[in-house]
Amino acid sequence: MEKFLKKKFAIVGLGLIPGRFPEHTQRTLQAEAAHLAIEDAGLKPSQVNGAIDLQLAPGSGTPPVETDAFPRILGLPTRMFFQIGRGGTAGIMGIMAASKFLEVGMADYVVLSYGAKDWSRSRGPQKTGIRSIEKAGHWGKPFGDMAAVSHHTFFASRHMHEYGTRPEAFGEIAVAQRAWAQLNPQAQMYGRPLTLDDYMNSPMVIDPYRTLDMCLINDGGMAFVLTTAERARDLRKKPVYVYGVGTGEAMERLWWEKANYTQLAVQSAKEIAFREADISIEDVDFAGLYDCFTAEVLFQVEDYGWCRKGEGGDFVANGGIGPGGKANINTSGGLLSAYYFGELTHIAEAITQLRGEAGARQVKDARIGMATGHGGEILAPGMCSTHATLVLGRD
Amino acid sequence: MSVPTRPKPNITESIRPFWDGVAEKKFLLMRCQTCSAWYWPAAYCRFHENKPFYGNMRWEEASGRGMVFAFNIHRRPMHPAFEVPYVYALIELDEGPMFGTNIVDCAPDDVRIGMPVEITFREFEETGVLPQFRPFACEAV
Repeated sequence: MEKFLKKKFAIVGLGLIPGRFPEHTQRTLQAEAAHLAIEDAGLKPSQVNGAIDLQLAPGSGTPPVETDAFPRILGLPTRMFFQIGRGGTAGIMGIMAASKFLEVGMADYVVLSYGAKDWSRSRGPQKTGIRSIEKAGHWGKPFGDMAAVSHHTFFASRHMHEYGTRPEAFGEIAVAQRAWAQLNPQAQMYGRPLTLDDYMNSPMVIDPYRTLDMCLINDGGMAFVLTTAERARDLRKKPVYVYGVGTGEAMERLWWEKANYTQLAVQSAKEIAFREADISIEDVDFAGLYDCFTAEVLFQVEDYGWCRKGEGGDFVANGGIGPGGKANINTSGGLLSAYYFGELTHIAEAITQLRGEAGARQVKDARIGMATGHGGEILAPGMCSTHATLVLGRD
Repeated sequence: MSVPTRPKPNITESIRPFWDGVAEKKFLLMRCQTCSAWYWPAAYCRFHENKPFYGNMRWEEASGRGMVFAFNIHRRPMHPAFEVPYVYALIELDEGPMFGTNIVDCAPDDVRIGMPVEITFREFEETGVLPQFRPFACEAV
């Protein structure tokens, strides 16, 4: 069967600046990440004639918050520029969009960039004590369901109820990812190891979740350059090829079919991406599984088929997904222990691993890697809708 | 500095009839007039063709009963207007849809998945009436 994507496009440049940047604006961080990605590819800004503004918004984008667009700040002669807003899957949607512009020749190189000021913004709530989702349309506010972590606990509690999963399973995930983060100097939790006892002894915030079940917040930016496989061959860095992309929605199995509370919308996302990439789960050398909270990792270990549904707790036990475990999962430390750029965190790690630039945490002979995204619209009363799968390859 | 008050519900146009019902202490769900299926929030009926603008759907008073499908216990405050601990739960209504709200009149540590619950309308100064759920009090047989 003819492949639409496989090995036709490649990521050729990466810009990655996680950290705390109170002195820079979100737009400046986004521009700098794009600048670094273009430089990393060995391109001149004058060659980059396509750009996409990635926003991890729940819906379809955000109103402009700055007076200028990042391509103009950088002086990119763009012929195409637009925003893609999708919580947790904007980068994967962006790859799909950019590939078509490249295919029809409307752009030669497309830079996709994201900027974050989440850490700086969190300083305000720390003073007022209000940690509130201010979005119009969010259901739970008058009931004290103020933040994503509140309704995301339902995943953990349903899994515990249906499969007898123990709190230690969530702890194992937090501990394993923290162990990977000890091998990643760019991780926010580098130098701060964690044991299962530390986890179990830490206080509940929104029971059954502790602080250690929640992803980090930080500032910074992540950008990458996508081009055709043909152009990719002449550039500075070894290309990282797009093998397959797939998406799924919780709405496929509507919320009243209650199964959505023990699984993510992986089935069709995986099927489409793996068919395009022509792989099965055994071919995946490492995976970045979207980890806004620990239960999402547990679900995906089952949904992608590393183990059977309900057996995720056993799979992650005793360092099952840590360094030297049964599967190389969230090798950067992920959103829980490295940095939060949505699924761009996992795309950045996949690029780094497939180039063989991952240092102490390098997966040996890594040929095929996966990054997943999760988020999107909030379906009332509280359910993330979307899931996306990206398969990248070295050869 | 004054203490921040409980946030008001986000009342969008499509959910307004529900909140108008709550103000009168009625718990409304959307019901298909063709096949009697229940929905919350607004939806086209998924079982057959619909009239334009889901004209076959109507907001109707529901039983106000259900069971706890999932819940959490807020042990640390996320907002000064809410006293911890409190429970935010997903209720599986007897009619089928899921509904997110608090479980009240029950110690948080006594809440269980599968527990039968029923609607209770509470009046709050800042927000008006809110639909919350409490353990279902069985009537003596």
